[in-house]
Amino acid sequence: MTDAAASLTSMDFHPQPAPGVARPWAFPAPDRGKLDNGLTLLTSHRPGQQVVAVEIFVPAPLDAEPAGLDGVATIMARALSEGTDQRSAEEFAAELERCGATLDAHADHPGVRVSLEVPVSRLPKALGLLSEALIAPAFLDTEIERLVRNRLDEIPHETANPSRRAAKQLSKELFPAESRMSRPRQGTEETVAAIDAAAVRAFYEAYVRPGTATAVVVGDLTGVDLDKVLADTLGAWTGEPAEPLPMPPITADDTGRVVIVDRPGAVQTQLLIGRIGADRHDRVWPAQVLGTYCLGGTLTSRLDKVLREEKGYTYGVRAFGQVLRSDAEGNGASMLAISGSVDTPNTGPALGDLWQVLRTLAAEGLTDAERETAVQNLVGVAPLKYETAASVAGTLADQVEQHLPDDFQAQLYARLAETGTVEATAAVVSAFPVDRLVTVLVGDAAQIADPVRELGIGEVTVVTG
Amino acid sequence: MPMGHTATAEAGSGGLTATEHRLANGLRVVLSEDHLTPVAAVCLWYDVGSRHEVEGRTGLAHLFEHLMFQGSKQVHGNGHFELVQGAGGSLNGTTSFERTNYFETMPTHQLELALWLEADRMGSLLAALDDESMENQRDVVKNERRQRYDNVPYGTAFEKLTALAYPEGHPYHHTPIGSMADLDAATLEDARNFFRTYYAPNNAVLSVVGDIDPAQTLAWIEKYFGSIPQHDGKRPPRDGSLPEVIGEQLREVVEEEVPARALMAAYRLPHDGTRECDAADLALTVLGGGESSRLHNRLVRRDRTAVAAGFGLLRLAGAPSLGWLDVKTSGGVEVPQIEAAVDEELARFAAEGPTPEEMERAQAQLEREWLDRLGTVAGRADELCRFAVLFGDPQLALTAVDRVLAVTAEEVQAVAAAKLRPDNRAVLVYEPVAADESDSDEEEGADQ
Repeated sequence: MTDAAASLTSMDFHPQPAPGVARPWAFPAPDRGKLDNGLTLLTSHRPGQQVVAVEIFVPAPLDAEPAGLDGVATIMARALSEGTDQRSAEEFAAELERCGATLDAHADHPGVRVSLEVPVSRLPKALGLLSEALIAPAFLDTEIERLVRNRLDEIPHETANPSRRAAKQLSKELFPAESRMSRPRQGTEETVAAIDAAAVRAFYEAYVRPGTATAVVVGDLTGVDLDKVLADTLGAWTGEPAEPLPMPPITADDTGRVVIVDRPGAVQTQLLIGRIGADRHDRVWPAQVLGTYCLGGTLTSRLDKVLREEKGYTYGVRAFGQVLRSDAEGNGASMLAISGSVDTPNTGPALGDLWQVLRTLAAEGLTDAERETAVQNLVGVAPLKYETAASVAGTLADQVEQHLPDDFQAQLYARLAETGTVEATAAVVSAFPVDRLVTVLVGDAAQIADPVRELGIGEVTVVTG
Repeated sequence: MPMGHTATAEAGSGGLTATEHRLANGLRVVLSEDHLTPVAAVCLWYDVGSRHEVEGRTGLAHLFEHLMFQGSKQVHGNGHFELVQGAGGSLNGTTSFERTNYFETMPTHQLELALWLEADRMGSLLAALDDESMENQRDVVKNERRQRYDNVPYGTAFEKLTALAYPEGHPYHHTPIGSMADLDAATLEDARNFFRTYYAPNNAVLSVVGDIDPAQTLAWIEKYFGSIPQHDGKRPPRDGSLPEVIGEQLREVVEEEVPARALMAAYRLPHDGTRECDAADLALTVLGGGESSRLHNRLVRRDRTAVAAGFGLLRLAGAPSLGWLDVKTSGGVEVPQIEAAVDEELARFAAEGPTPEEMERAQAQLEREWLDRLGTVAGRADELCRFAVLFGDPQLALTAVDRVLAVTAEEVQAVAAAKLRPDNRAVLVYEPVAADESDSDEEEGADQ
């Protein structure tokens, strides 16, 4: 202490500085167009971003997968870059990496997303490869067999991972068995094993067409003749337009209950507590974003203030809302959830405290100061969050995928700033009602089941696997 | 304090420049202007990491990093987080073998707040540090350890490889997260001493990058940091030098409840900051980076014996770097089959070197990674600090990609032949067992 005192006396302290004048910033408004083949195009020039991001969205939704073939959209997405009519799988990967590019493709409920990142100097070449993958994938039997086997090998790794296992269980609990959302996005051992090249090609031919797809291109496009590059690449994609598929209604059973996935000997319990709620089309979205941030957006939010910074039960617990799928009519939904992990002996007390945080929030509401901090953060971090081309492209593609206008994100910031404390409280309280939450715990049932039962947060069942 | 002149952009720096300054108390400052986005990144590297820890106190540097967010003389409780986030900024801190860094990315008009906050804790952390924070953050860090390492399959693999590759007593033998026993043993007085020893302006580099006015920024830095006394109580880390190669193949078989067999290995590689290290980076990229690498093509595409196969590089300046091989087997494939294929590929690569196409691909991949890192103000601030702290010259950050592009195929082959050999590696083999068979010795005593 003496040393500390010595250094304190010799340092000059100054009062906390006041902020300067904010420089205006707005989420970029993209240019929207269409190629002759019907492909929708969004572009945004971002000076200084030398790595260009390209996002392709193809509305090939998971619920379009044929019965018994869950995972075919995933295998198709992966197979796009595993050989074309001009190149073998190895040659394609080599050419792509020669551009210094990365290419990722994945399938989710709304459809397939293909993401390319490449230094701008090699954009034309990489766009050529991306187009080849979309227009003329080879789908060779041997490559599809390999991808199927590789996917089957991945499943045990996902099952062993506590957070992946929890997510799988929550989907199974929430959604009716006939809903595609109740089952793993990338399929199960049984359905993946049934996928072959013919099934992949049939899915591709039914849904992958330029007329329903969108391309987003973001980066420093100085000196790039984008029209010409696109005409030579994605412009060569042909295909008849497809009728858009109607989105099935999304329903969920959020009767309050607890499911423990037994992991004997686990030193922590992974928790995932969720239900479904409003998507971005709903007027409540900005208030829900604000309220959810106050509940569990960061380590100074209500949950971590108690569970981490007061009790030390966890490295961090977060509350979030993640859109599952939307349509233009506003029938979409998002997953609203609280997730984190807590040490095994404190699982009961941690859940007890978590519920108490929710009850207190419902009884007393948010404070104006909390709301103010949340708005300052959510709005203020936008220029940092959207510094890179990839982050801008990702959000623009999300908007397309969710049938939102191109200025949605820009407007959201204005709406967040206008949302009051009362609205934010109402939104978060109705998003996380204490008696309508499904709790999945991946942990040691022998140690945690009884303490959790005593909390009275719903019937407790234990499953294995 | 002399004002640095604006440097002219060096070739290959992408037009980026940085100026260097030093306060009277020894704090080194690096500034870099970029007005494209109204944001500014503040990054502070303290030249202390887990390599400075002593026996029985592993994990102390990282635990201490958590305590830096628990308030200081003028900042109460979680005020550091609250004030930065409330100003529309983002922040964090991380601890590695060789350094501890703290960073805030702010909207430009809130830059001064971040500087004030960093100065307050550099100068007066001990005014607020108490038992309550210590006990709380000890529990948080133990839960961090459980979440990131102990409760996930293969979660302790890196820790085990490190312990094999750097011998007992070597400063890099243990990883920054530390052991549960040592985390339990750390005292408030340990934390205080750690601060007094290492958290001094003359043991740190501060970089500020982005939409800044350099003269104004430097004036703020002088105002807030200038009166923090320097001190020289720092103990140098224990000697990290080791023979260039391990000299024998070290091996550990782990029987644990994991989903598949795995072959992992750590190779001793040249120190960060050398041309040989860049050559090693290229060698590992050709062999095990991305989906066109030799190991991916061989094991995942052709033999179909692995679900994933790749190489990573942990660059280290104070000890040999570490090349990390990670192969997860497919189905019921046995490890010896994988190992034979890996050895064959490495031996062939050492004998033949990379093809011109492979060199082009590897260099293009590493170039993109550099563009990504320097493409954000926070990434640039961190790299400027890294080169200043570890190599004494922040300007090296702006030309790093040129050095990677200048490496020749012959140099890549030479480093592979010299280092990627069976007698220069520590091998870790995972053999899955059912839940009740797993050897839980290590977990006992940990979770007390």
